[in-house]
Amino acid sequence: MPSYKAPLRDMRFVLEQVADLERLRALPGCEEVTTELVDPIMEEAAKLCEEVLLPLNRSGDEEGCHYENGVVRTPAGFRDAYRMLREGGWPALHCDPEYGGQGLPRTVSLLFEEMMCSANLSFGMYPGLSHGAYTALHAFGSEALKALYLPRLVSGEWTGTMCLTEPHCGTDLGLIRTKAVPEGDGSYRITGSKIFISAGEHDLAENIVHLVLAKLPDAPPGVKGISLFLVPKFLPDGQGQPGARNGVSCASIEHKMGIKASATCAMNFDEATGWLVGAPHKGLRAMFAMMNEERLAVGIQGLGLAEISYQNAAAYAKDRLQGRALGGTRYPEKPADPIIVHPDVRRMLLTMRASIEGCRALGLLTALEQDVATRSTDPATRQEAEDYVALLTPVVKALFTDLGSEAANLGMQVLGGHGYIREWGMEQYVRDARIAQIYEGTNGIQALDLVGRKLPAHAGRYLRRFFHPVLDYIESRGEDEAMAEFILPLSKAFGRLQQCTAEVARRGFADPFEAGAAATDYLRLFGLTALGHVWARMAEASLRGLEGGDADFHKAKLATARFFFARILPQTGALSAAILAGGETLRAMEDAAF
Amino acid sequence: MSAAGQEGAHPPAIRRAAVIGAGVMGAGIAAQIANAGTPVLLLDIVPGAAARAVQTMLKADPAPFMHRAAAKRVQPGDLDADFAKLAECDWIVEAIVERPDLKRALYGRLEGVRKAGSIVSSNTSTIPLRDLTAGLPDRFAADFLITHFFNPPRYMRLLELVAGPATRPDAVAAIRDFADRALGKTVVECRDTPGFIANRIGTLWLQSAINHAVDLRLTIEEADAVVGRPMGIPKTGVFGLIDLVGLDLMPHVANSLLATLPEGDAYRALHREHGTITGLIAAGRTGRKSGKGGFYTRAKDAEGNSLKRAIDLWTGEDRPSAKPSLESLDLGSRNLRALAEHPDRGGRYARAVLLDTLAYAASLVPEIADDVTAVDAAMRLGYAWKYGPFELIDRLGPGWLAAALRAADRPVPPLLELAGERPFYRTEAGTLQFLGLDGDYHDVVRPEGVLLLADVKRRSKPLARNGSASLWDIGDGVACLEFHTKMNAMDPDILALIGKAVGMGRKGAFRALVIHNEGSHFSAGANLGLALFAANIAAWGEIEGLVEGGQKAYRALREAPFPVVGAPSGMALGGGCEVLLHCDAVQAHAESYIGLVEVGVGLIPGWGGCTTMLRRWSAAPGLPKGPMPPLSKVFEMISTAQVAKSAFEAREMLLLREGDGITMNRDRLLADAKARALALVEGYEAPKPGTLRVAGPTGQAALRLAVDGFAQLGKATPHDVVVCGYLAETLTGGARGDFIDETPEDAILKLERQSFMALVRHPATLARVEHMLETGRPLRN
Repeated sequence: MPSYKAPLRDMRFVLEQVADLERLRALPGCEEVTTELVDPIMEEAAKLCEEVLLPLNRSGDEEGCHYENGVVRTPAGFRDAYRMLREGGWPALHCDPEYGGQGLPRTVSLLFEEMMCSANLSFGMYPGLSHGAYTALHAFGSEALKALYLPRLVSGEWTGTMCLTEPHCGTDLGLIRTKAVPEGDGSYRITGSKIFISAGEHDLAENIVHLVLAKLPDAPPGVKGISLFLVPKFLPDGQGQPGARNGVSCASIEHKMGIKASATCAMNFDEATGWLVGAPHKGLRAMFAMMNEERLAVGIQGLGLAEISYQNAAAYAKDRLQGRALGGTRYPEKPADPIIVHPDVRRMLLTMRASIEGCRALGLLTALEQDVATRSTDPATRQEAEDYVALLTPVVKALFTDLGSEAANLGMQVLGGHGYIREWGMEQYVRDARIAQIYEGTNGIQALDLVGRKLPAHAGRYLRRFFHPVLDYIESRGEDEAMAEFILPLSKAFGRLQQCTAEVARRGFADPFEAGAAATDYLRLFGLTALGHVWARMAEASLRGLEGGDADFHKAKLATARFFFARILPQTGALSAAILAGGETLRAMEDAAF
Repeated sequence: MSAAGQEGAHPPAIRRAAVIGAGVMGAGIAAQIANAGTPVLLLDIVPGAAARAVQTMLKADPAPFMHRAAAKRVQPGDLDADFAKLAECDWIVEAIVERPDLKRALYGRLEGVRKAGSIVSSNTSTIPLRDLTAGLPDRFAADFLITHFFNPPRYMRLLELVAGPATRPDAVAAIRDFADRALGKTVVECRDTPGFIANRIGTLWLQSAINHAVDLRLTIEEADAVVGRPMGIPKTGVFGLIDLVGLDLMPHVANSLLATLPEGDAYRALHREHGTITGLIAAGRTGRKSGKGGFYTRAKDAEGNSLKRAIDLWTGEDRPSAKPSLESLDLGSRNLRALAEHPDRGGRYARAVLLDTLAYAASLVPEIADDVTAVDAAMRLGYAWKYGPFELIDRLGPGWLAAALRAADRPVPPLLELAGERPFYRTEAGTLQFLGLDGDYHDVVRPEGVLLLADVKRRSKPLARNGSASLWDIGDGVACLEFHTKMNAMDPDILALIGKAVGMGRKGAFRALVIHNEGSHFSAGANLGLALFAANIAAWGEIEGLVEGGQKAYRALREAPFPVVGAPSGMALGGGCEVLLHCDAVQAHAESYIGLVEVGVGLIPGWGGCTTMLRRWSAAPGLPKGPMPPLSKVFEMISTAQVAKSAFEAREMLLLREGDGITMNRDRLLADAKARALALVEGYEAPKPGTLRVAGPTGQAALRLAVDGFAQLGKATPHDVVVCGYLAETLTGGARGDFIDETPEDAILKLERQSFMALVRHPATLARVEHMLETGRPLRN
């Protein structure tokens, strides 16, 4: 049975040393955000995740969800756990106080999200989807809809969903067929089928609020003709209590590779009553409003799974006695050396750890910019933060989930045969991590978003928010000898990224196929360089920290940093070579020859 | 040699002209005659109207005059009081109201005053020549023809010329020659048929496009998008165009055509009045100049944003304008046939309009013109189509069009039958040929003295080429450097080819170089998108390399051991202006718009523009002594991003020098530039880098003080102050500038680079560049 301890020490380090709490505290509503405030919250969150959610992870995976006659039951223990989550006010953490939220910035709530993903990803899906629905409704709903639904979503009494995908369209939402017919009284009749709806039906809450993409009768073709509707499972009565059953039902649930305790539903809407959210035909805009938040959340899923996989692989490697160290016995008092002595085991563990700590820092930086983008009172500052978030969102989503999946596989590998059998729990992380690379826009789509939309936008303005600060950082540390071991490789990777960015933009402008051919490698190159930047900043903080009381923590941080710069960041060389080679070899093969 | 001996070769000269009727067209024609350097009498029946017309034109935008000095060549007068002055004129243009009786009466009066051998022409667009000369003496008919200008006469390059059976050939030759060389027009000779060529086809096209938009229920945005870019027609399309020319003009044109067109003409069947349009006209919504809009209107929303609205052709109601979204448009944006074959309403619309228009055009040759080239030229130059009707037919395939007509149960014009599957144009042995009425191909013959790069490109391979520029052999040992980027923006590849061309010239590959292209604009300046992208990814080294590379390339041009002649037409801005500043001579099309506009995007000229202008103004005669007067001139010009609105204005700003030439007819520009280059070959010596006397820190302080003053008056923005500060520093020689010592030009060039690099790193500059790229307008931050 895997164990989990929330990495509170590292989280505080990132919050204090990397995320710049001063910048956060300058934002309205964040003035009080200090480590004194955050620490106890995170300790409580850790308790919930370690003691309540973690024990349900394996059993939930074994049992899965049950479907019968349109009713979905979650695995044993989930209802109680959800009640505790709700009673603890956790769904309200990062919500608007006007609707009962606690108003904490994303920078803080993200840490809780990570813990929940480590402890029990399937469980975390339910509040996660609710928060997505909350965000879209909060941004675009009418005052009446917000007053009625938001307090209940914030409290967790009701949960939410996002109903986008249909049997014949996922990535290309312009093709959706679900239709909405105005009733004349302000409501609409929604009819159609949706699939892959997480938390579409379950027994955790008394009502479910579906946000549904559908087309109005006069809709223009394509994505410009999509509108967003709110469709509750039960229509609220005069008191706002769940009343009559609406025409929405769960037709079946999917049988999946992972996240088995998360109900993935096929939903039927049969003249269900709904209300328009936002302007007619502007549904996609509403979707994009929550897309950045959601994609960061999915990235964090990769991080969370990598973390728990790492913790258990590291424990196992220190414990498991097998053979002797290559250079000679290290633990003569034991019948065999623990496998932690082996360079390849250490390589795997350090790779995981370098990814995890780097992603945690980069994720937090991105969350901080999200907070600035939504809360700053200065339009120019807001704009800059929005640019940064727009640029980094596809990187975070794809990089974190790819690295998370790789880490889960490495964690399983460390355990050898025991990793492959269910008893040890390591294979579940491999299965659970896999979906994060696929949903919320496949990682291939993320890469296309980066090269096709984010790079060319405003002649590269989004890029400025990353390239300028990173170059400033490199140049400002140029004279610092102690930092040279980090700054030199970072500046090399940065140069490669500059060159490839210019090339991808140049070729992609002339021939979109070239942009597409470079996309995935380019995203990884970008992501590794971004990790290099946060790793240099962490190393700088730990160089300072060596003098203080927590030397062991900082020594380990520096060791991981050195591993990252020596053994991982050089991948940027291979990536840039592949990118610069162009797309011709991807084009050459005849379609029929595949 | 006696003058008489030349009579056959050279038509009689037009030394003085007159225009009668000071309406928009008459006044505009007079202005263009004045632009050409010829004195012109402008008379109107209403006393004082001609003088007022001249005053109005001096304030108009776009300007009818190329330079305010041209206005002095227009002598306004009153028809009755000044009638006798017509006796001095070699050419009298009549541009009065479209009434045959009034015109004939005027002609009768003219017979009493005009001198022998003078020529009279009418600017009528609707009245047949035979009606105009009816009842007038033979002597008049021999001197009379129709010269049909297009509005605005300065800018539209088409002149339709109609000679009657009695018109003297040398009168035709004289006007043709004057219109071509002096007025810069492309003359298309037309037959005496209703609407001549361009309006005959254009009117049917507009009617067809309106009818089918209504019948197929397209929005006007959809119709304009289908008819616009895919067909090579300006993006105003049909409804946008009618808004521009005026809805009220339509019934006039229609009625005059209906009065004169032959029975059975296709236009008669198509002509239809639409309730929505007559309603708009009745409500005074006759287009942009009405102030109330037309098909499109602009309205302010609650927040004061200007919103475009479009009329619904069926209901007559306005609604917010929406960008059209049609599959046929996406698929057919590059492939006309794919568009015309698409089953959606956009495709059906394209097909219907093309069938009507192209079949009509094909049916009218030889009725209205000798051959297809005249028809194509008229539509290209008179309606600004990128392709004439027969060029459009070639894009669809003549066989395809004939089959489509048959499928629609419509007659196939004989000319189209004659073509069969053969195109109307082909290139044979490097020469463009057209399909004649005899069924054979004939060479397209350019007028004497016309050299087109397009023809050179057809018959030869480039001496050198990359993705952005090419080097062509244009004969007699002269090479032509052509840019071919978007908007001919300067980029690293162009600079590289300049370097290569200079190297080839040094080795003797040619004797002289002309820099010229046949794009709409010579060069809109450096590729800002590229520069901004590089700045956004902090590729400072790359940008610095580009600045240095540009200086090096331009300097290589200037110091090359062979003459270099720039031949611009259209915009030559920023880096495109600076390349001209490094040429030994410039032969400019009169319609050249030249300027150093870098401050608009928060930069200063970095490719030698500051240095060269300082050198030119320092050497300018007539300025007071000392470094300040030229400095002030250059500073004012660059800091306010002044653009010359014609080659004549450019000369005044010293963007062109006294010896630089101006060509009125764009088609003659390359030949003129080549001749100029050859004239420089003999004894050519390249200029050497010189020194300048700069104003130094005191001059700099004076300029900064002036800028601060403007800032306090609210006339300069905060970033203007920053940019002007760098400009002042550069032009005064920086901290070490000293007006006693001579400063090497290299030192100023270095300051240009340093200032440029400092500014390009400034966020306010990047915001300006981005705003310019996205909106086409400067940001005042």
